[in-house]
Amino acid sequence: MPQPTISVDIGNPTIESRDLSVWYARNQAIRRVGLKVPRHQVTAIIGPSGCGKSTYLRAINRMNDTILSCRTEGQLFVDGEDVYGPNVDPVILRRKAGLIFQKPNPFPKSVYKNIAFGVQLHYRASEKELDEVVESALRQANLWDEVKDRLDDNALGLSGGQQQRLCIARALAIEPEIMLMDEPCSALDPVATAKIEDLIFELKKDMTIVIVTHNMQQAARVAEYTAFMYLGRLVEFSRTRDLFERPHEELTENYITGRFG
Amino acid sequence: MTTKAEQRKALERGLRKLNENMITLAELSELAIRKAVDGLARLDEDVAHEVFTLDQEVYALQIEIERTCIDLLALHAPVARDLRTITTSLKITTDLDRIARYAKDIGEITLQFGGARPDEPLGFMHLREMADHTIRMVDTATEAFVHRDAESVRNIIEVDDTVDRLHDEIFQDIVQRMTDRTLDVQTGARYILVNRYLERIADHAVNIGMRVVYMVTAEWLPRVRAADRSKDQERET
Repeated sequence: MPQPTISVDIGNPTIESRDLSVWYARNQAIRRVGLKVPRHQVTAIIGPSGCGKSTYLRAINRMNDTILSCRTEGQLFVDGEDVYGPNVDPVILRRKAGLIFQKPNPFPKSVYKNIAFGVQLHYRASEKELDEVVESALRQANLWDEVKDRLDDNALGLSGGQQQRLCIARALAIEPEIMLMDEPCSALDPVATAKIEDLIFELKKDMTIVIVTHNMQQAARVAEYTAFMYLGRLVEFSRTRDLFERPHEELTENYITGRFG
Repeated sequence: MTTKAEQRKALERGLRKLNENMITLAELSELAIRKAVDGLARLDEDVAHEVFTLDQEVYALQIEIERTCIDLLALHAPVARDLRTITTSLKITTDLDRIARYAKDIGEITLQFGGARPDEPLGFMHLREMADHTIRMVDTATEAFVHRDAESVRNIIEVDDTVDRLHDEIFQDIVQRMTDRTLDVQTGARYILVNRYLERIADHAVNIGMRVVYMVTAEWLPRVRAADRSKDQERET
């Protein structure tokens, strides 16, 4: 199997996979991917549909576990702990690594309850504490000013961009260390996209972000590092500017210049 | 909505047009300097006027290429080799334009002689050698661009050092001849200018060569400005 080009050495990674493979029934979606995700930086994963990028993202917080036929091999470390090892509670893992989906998926409840719900699941909080957490999370997600007078309104009444930021606020409320984003802007217009990208820029000060995106300009804008995957393999991992200016692999070059995919 | 394949096709059309224009521009600039030197050697005013026309053509084409590059950058957000091709073209059009401009300056000196060289053309014999080196450098650099050949220009800086040495020798020679009055001052001054123009053209050829290496390999050669290099040499001696 061809070895990927890894052109940067990442010390003290937040996430590290070694020979990670994932199967859906007999179909191998990820082939022995070894990748170190740098701490408190944004790493983008790009590649054509079906390359395994979303599967890789979901492997990080074991969201693939919910798919019955899914099988994982190899190792994946979060902060040095093998998340597929024994005695790992996926619920606690997911508290550490929040996942944002392509389509905003708020609960059909009030703005306030959307955030409070997750917090109450993990912590016992007084009403006052809860108010504080809700406000703080909404502020962090740059949504507070837009919804502070509509906290009791149904979240489904918000715009698409606001819903997505609400989902980010919901994830932030339980103070994750890692934010996994699966094409978080693909359903949003350019203005809403810019707001999410601004938010990513602020969030990375305190957390590690992995973003899967189809939009290569977005990867170039928000990510310090970029991984290119193809047919389940990691092909190249570099600093984003290097990957887009001087890709090492012909495959990477052909993909990012739009020759296929 | 256009598909990715259609977008790629549109970008490729633009890149093809850019490449064709760049090749023409390189040919015109090289022709301009060849003609300028030839015109000066024979004091042929018609040839000098041809150089002026070439310079205008180069300028107009340079503007068109710049516009094409800006359109391609704005519309396609190119990356990798595409990006390097466009930014390199954008940079070296300026070098090619400067080369044509110096060719024009040499043409003007041809006109200043008014068809008669008042002195023996010995000074010019050295200049001929200088001009041959310079033209060869321009040719190497533009050929490297056309054929996307990084290897042929890797040592272009060393060739330029030869040109720089020749430039200094010729300068000293002309000054010496003017001092001992075997060369009249007006002619000597014109030769000094031509000598200088050729040396500058060679520097632009170096720029083009280094940009071609970047375009093809994404590698930045260690770049020392010619002026700084000559300063360093002065310090060493």
